[in-house]
Amino acid sequence: MQRITIDPITRLEGHGKIEIFLDPEGEVAETYFQIPELRGFEQFCVGRPVEEMPILTNRICGVCPEAHHMAAAKAADAVYHVDPPPAAKKLRELLYSAFYVTDHTTHFYALAGPDFIMGPTAPVAERNILGVIHKVGLEIGGNVIQARKYGHTVIEMIGGRKVHPCTSIPGGLTKGITEEQRQEIEKMGRWAVDFAQFSLKLFDDIVLKHSDYLNMILDDAFTHRTYYMGMVDEFNHVNFYDGQISIVDPDGERIGKYIPREYPDWIAEHVEPWTYLKFPYLKKIGWKGLVDGKDSGVYCATPLSRLNAADGMATPLAQEEYERFYVTFLQGESDRYSTTWQGKVVHHHLATHWARLIELLYAAERWVQLATDPEITSDNFHTIPTEKPTEGVGIVEAPRGTLTHHYWTDERGILTRVNLIVGTTNNYARMSMSIKKAAKKLIHGGTVISEGLLNQVEMAFRAYDPCFGCATHALPGQMPLEVVIRDASGHEVERLSQHVK
Amino acid sequence: MRTLILGLGNPILGDDSAGLKVAEIVRRRMAFDPSIEVSEDYAGGLRLMERMIGYDQVIIVDAICTGAHPPGTVLHLNTSDIATQHTSSTHDLNLPTALQLAATMNLKMPERIRIIAIEAENVLEFSEQCSPAVTLALPRAAEAVLAELQ
Repeated sequence: MQRITIDPITRLEGHGKIEIFLDPEGEVAETYFQIPELRGFEQFCVGRPVEEMPILTNRICGVCPEAHHMAAAKAADAVYHVDPPPAAKKLRELLYSAFYVTDHTTHFYALAGPDFIMGPTAPVAERNILGVIHKVGLEIGGNVIQARKYGHTVIEMIGGRKVHPCTSIPGGLTKGITEEQRQEIEKMGRWAVDFAQFSLKLFDDIVLKHSDYLNMILDDAFTHRTYYMGMVDEFNHVNFYDGQISIVDPDGERIGKYIPREYPDWIAEHVEPWTYLKFPYLKKIGWKGLVDGKDSGVYCATPLSRLNAADGMATPLAQEEYERFYVTFLQGESDRYSTTWQGKVVHHHLATHWARLIELLYAAERWVQLATDPEITSDNFHTIPTEKPTEGVGIVEAPRGTLTHHYWTDERGILTRVNLIVGTTNNYARMSMSIKKAAKKLIHGGTVISEGLLNQVEMAFRAYDPCFGCATHALPGQMPLEVVIRDASGHEVERLSQHVK
Repeated sequence: MRTLILGLGNPILGDDSAGLKVAEIVRRRMAFDPSIEVSEDYAGGLRLMERMIGYDQVIIVDAICTGAHPPGTVLHLNTSDIATQHTSSTHDLNLPTALQLAATMNLKMPERIRIIAIEAENVLEFSEQCSPAVTLALPRAAEAVLAELQ
């Protein structure tokens, strides 16, 4: 049996690699995708006061500390059975919207965009933001940096620090904002709305108007018919900060919604002997292995999932884009959904990039909505907890998937147990399926279309925007991939790589 | 001349916190000098580049996992050398690309960037302590930072 190893994380030996086993005919028999996991966080937290969690968990990961801060704050609210005042919830969501704008902007322009703007067959060295600037213009680079600067400014104004917010506590926030700050935040938000619209226009011009790229999005190699998950408000519109978790089946039908504390009724975790990380799946459907379809409990939690799991967007410009998105992919069938978008679904994984830009526009619009809310400068930003702490669950939508924090404490509020389901973990099963599909398409009779395999795996990864066990700081930005092909006796017969020193 | 000494790391991830701890030692050992700022961050790629705008000289201190040196080895690197723990990110650019972007955008970047890297033993387990080998290396890394200033 041949064995192929793709190691995207060469500096973490024994972790984060893909192994492909071929049968005697040289066809793909099985693929194994192992990803690194940071260990010991649960033990690290036990014995600490629960109110430390919003500032402790945002250290788990350098990519989305704001998401951990919010999920932890909501879980700590729940532990203390305290409902923060409306102004506190709105300020938290405002900070979170600004964070989404910076995160989605960075992902599109620095990571995902180059595959499309430069083209997936462009030399690897050109597929980065420098290539984008060269092709589209210097102004783009300035706008990306400006979007990030504005986002970080809002995060600092409300969260107290640029990178790791520290103002959320059980019952609300430690501070509010002044009218002067509100005006500045509103101005930056309006700029962000224009920038998001520009980004969607760019995607339109560069991707959607080119049949080659559209065909790539529609390619079966990037298509999985799974369940989808995402947070929705009371109107079933996408919400990143608060609401219920909606789940739709592969036909687009909603099978239910759950509130945070009900997550154990919906989500279970499957263990495989070959990986440290568990595979979350839908408990009510059951684990049937790494397969898609209605009988398999594999689900996905990404920007595309959030659009699929909702019935629309809560802001007008994003709603227009939402409708255009489904009309484009459902083509003749879209008339069925003219009054309500329930029952629609898109399974094309690379459409996630478009979905992410629609979310970028929503986040920017929501930023302005909240910045112009009369309550946002209220002094009433904290409710003092009065009840005995027990147990609580907090959920937010992290940019890369639904993020669940579950804490148990004693009567003093000292943590006795912690459980986290982080964004990327939700997608572990589907990511593994994407790799297998890419391998099956490009490996036949023992022959590997080498460059194609590297590209396909890398593009599939990027659309998930994976945060490997929140250990991403240990990974280089341009994904190094190494494929080692060995014959049955273990001898290396070929080695292919990119970005590997 | 404005100098930034920037310790990078995660304070709760074992040896990954080495850069932060070195920055703290440097801060305590240095006489007050308004032209030198000692700071901590947890940034890679774009964020790191943005942090360095406006300085003439930056000395970055970070953990590194090469596997080629014993834990605690102190390395002197340039930005074009192998990435350290925080000079790269899958969700961002690596530092050389971010610096190229800054040059393209005509941003005012430091003329001199040096990286002091400490070979790590364990960056996958949560702890506020470094491993013994890395702990012993922290004063040596701080010396290396101070030597870079002269």
